Amino acid sequence: MSIISVKDVSFSYNEKKLGLKNVNIEIKKGEWIAILGHNGSGKSTLAKTLVGLLEPQSGEILIDQVLLNDESAYELRKKIGIVFQNPDNQFVGVTVRDDIAFGMENLCIPREEMLEKIDFYAQKVGMKEYLDKQPSNLSGGQKQRVAIAGILAMHSDILIFDEATSMLDPYTRSDLIEYIKTLNKEGLTIIMITHDVNEALLADRMLILNQGEVYAFEATNDLLKKPEVFRECHLELPVALEVASKVESQKIKEKLWEYVLTK
Amino acid sequence: MGIRFNEVTHEYASYSKITYKAIQNISLNISEHEEFIALVGHTGSGKSTLAKHMNALIFPTSGTVEIFGNIITKKRNKKIKYNSIRKNVGLVFQFPEYQLFEDTVEKDVMFGPMNFKVPKEKAKELALDSLKLVGLDETYLNRNPFNLSGGEKKRVSIAGILALDPEILVLDEPTSGLDPEGKTTLMKLFTDIHKKTNKTIIIITHDMDLVYQYFNRVIVLKDGELSFEGTPEKLFKSNILKNNHLDLPNTVKTLKHIKETLNLDVDIYQKTAEDVINELNRVTKNE
Ligand SMILES: Nc1ncnc2c1ncn2[C@@H]1O[C@H](COP(=O)(O)OP(=O)(O)OP(=O)(O)O)[C@@H](O)[C@H]1O
Ligand SMILES: Nc1ncnc2c1ncn2[C@@H]1O[C@H](COP(=O)(O)OP(=O)(O)OP(=O)(O)O)[C@@H](O)[C@H]1O
Ligand SMILES: [Mg+2]
Ligand SMILES: [Mg+2]
Repeated sequence: MSIISVKDVSFSYNEKKLGLKNVNIEIKKGEWIAILGHNGSGKSTLAKTLVGLLEPQSGEILIDQVLLNDESAYELRKKIGIVFQNPDNQFVGVTVRDDIAFGMENLCIPREEMLEKIDFYAQKVGMKEYLDKQPSNLSGGQKQRVAIAGILAMHSDILIFDEATSMLDPYTRSDLIEYIKTLNKEGLTIIMITHDVNEALLADRMLILNQGEVYAFEATNDLLKKPEVFRECHLELPVALEVASKVESQKIKEKLWEYVLTK
Repeated sequence: MGIRFNEVTHEYASYSKITYKAIQNISLNISEHEEFIALVGHTGSGKSTLAKHMNALIFPTSGTVEIFGNIITKKRNKKIKYNSIRKNVGLVFQFPEYQLFEDTVEKDVMFGPMNFKVPKEKAKELALDSLKLVGLDETYLNRNPFNLSGGEKKRVSIAGILALDPEILVLDEPTSGLDPEGKTTLMKLFTDIHKKTNKTIIIITHDMDLVYQYFNRVIVLKDGELSFEGTPEKLFKSNILKNNHLDLPNTVKTLKHIKETLNLDVDIYQKTAEDVINELNRVTKNE
């Protein structure tokens, strides 16, 4: 059973600017999907249609078997959390605390429990000392961390991260990824938009968009064996695979593949 | 000339009594020419704050910043032409949304040159040339910069500084949000500008692969203080990475894994995939 079905969805911003063209995708509950594609390929547009922020001109989207439309959007938003590409678009509150709370308020979580959760998730992303600060006065990476904490706190069935880790330092980033792994093991569906192929390797499947169309949607380990797809879509391969394709020793080749595939 | 930090501290004021010390006691020399510097450090370590001092966008709470002979202190000085400092040192913000403000891409990129009295026709030309350098064609000229994708916005904000053509370029995370091809194109472009014009370029980044591959000097900040200065080689061979929330580049990580699992005698400190291939072929040739 799919938790997300996108059926022949097309979206254009105006007569001249196409966003998505005949997109068909099915995502199963508990899957981890990475979305890759060149700048302007339609990744954020797709993410916004999934949460009902943009309405496709044609086609339909089902979230957990329910058709996404004006009436169902409010209820469905509880099932699906998104961290926007620009964290400023996420912030509504006066303090970091308000912002982490915001998503939970819509879920009618009791106050006591909410306060506990705020603490827990602020700690999780390393922002506990900043709870009283104004989100606009944070550094870029700190903003991203707060935006992420707010979504994690909602613990929705589906989590969409739109380049949400692009401004995190390597350590904070891998820490967060580890946590997302545990959420995924608990059964949450993860959709990660990223330009970082190393981050994308963690996904069960990779969805590659190219000029608003789905160019490939395949198991990560299968897709990695098709370097031409990456080339055609102007994407990069992990360093280890670039090396594997040219290194002479067969033994090293095998080790490099093993290194990538077990990530 | 160039930029000289002399015991600079910056505290952000806030509504409550708490102030936030973003950078502390930083002394640093950046030459006008020949430098290609990576500025790195954990989130919130003070990189953007440091960068904003480089063209007097903000003033130190204590200490001085000397920018092309202008001494910037806590107090505004009537004798200093702050506007002209922007032509000495150009800064691209971390978030393009804070930089873009005109209603077309063309006007936005033209703004810098026009501000420094470049004739309109010439500014138009510069705008298109700069946009092309960052991978955007003429169809973008009349687009509203706010209705672009994240990576497209980033490119427009970078085109702005290229059109302005300042003496020193400071770019705050210019490659975050760029697709892999764009990242490589722009890093090559910056390297090219640096080599051809001898201009100093300072780039903030979290990307260790880029740090190793492109730069000859790295500055690391930690909790607002200078924590390391030296070559990328020295940084990656040091034991301070974890402490500074940094990591090894992917080339080194990959080779380290191969070295350990196959027990090979390789030099793991290689900058590019090509270097890695050559090194591995070199060691296995004699087997
Ligand atoms: N509000 C808008 N109005 C008009 N066109 C838009 C708008 N937002 C995006 N576009 C265009 O739609 C296309 C897809 O944009 P989208 O933001 O989905 O790209 P993306 O894949 O997320 O890119 P990036 O990697 O740069 O974030 C782009 O060509 C972009 O210029
Ligand atoms: N306008 C502001 N008001 C108050 N505090 C601020 C303001 N801007 C930044 N800070 C604080 O100063 C510190 C340094 O911020 P800065 O933006 O310089 O960090 P950074 O190294 O650029 O981080 P990042 O990698 O996350 O962008 C952070 O702790 C941040 O919360
Ligand atoms: Mg996007
Ligand atoms: Mg910053």
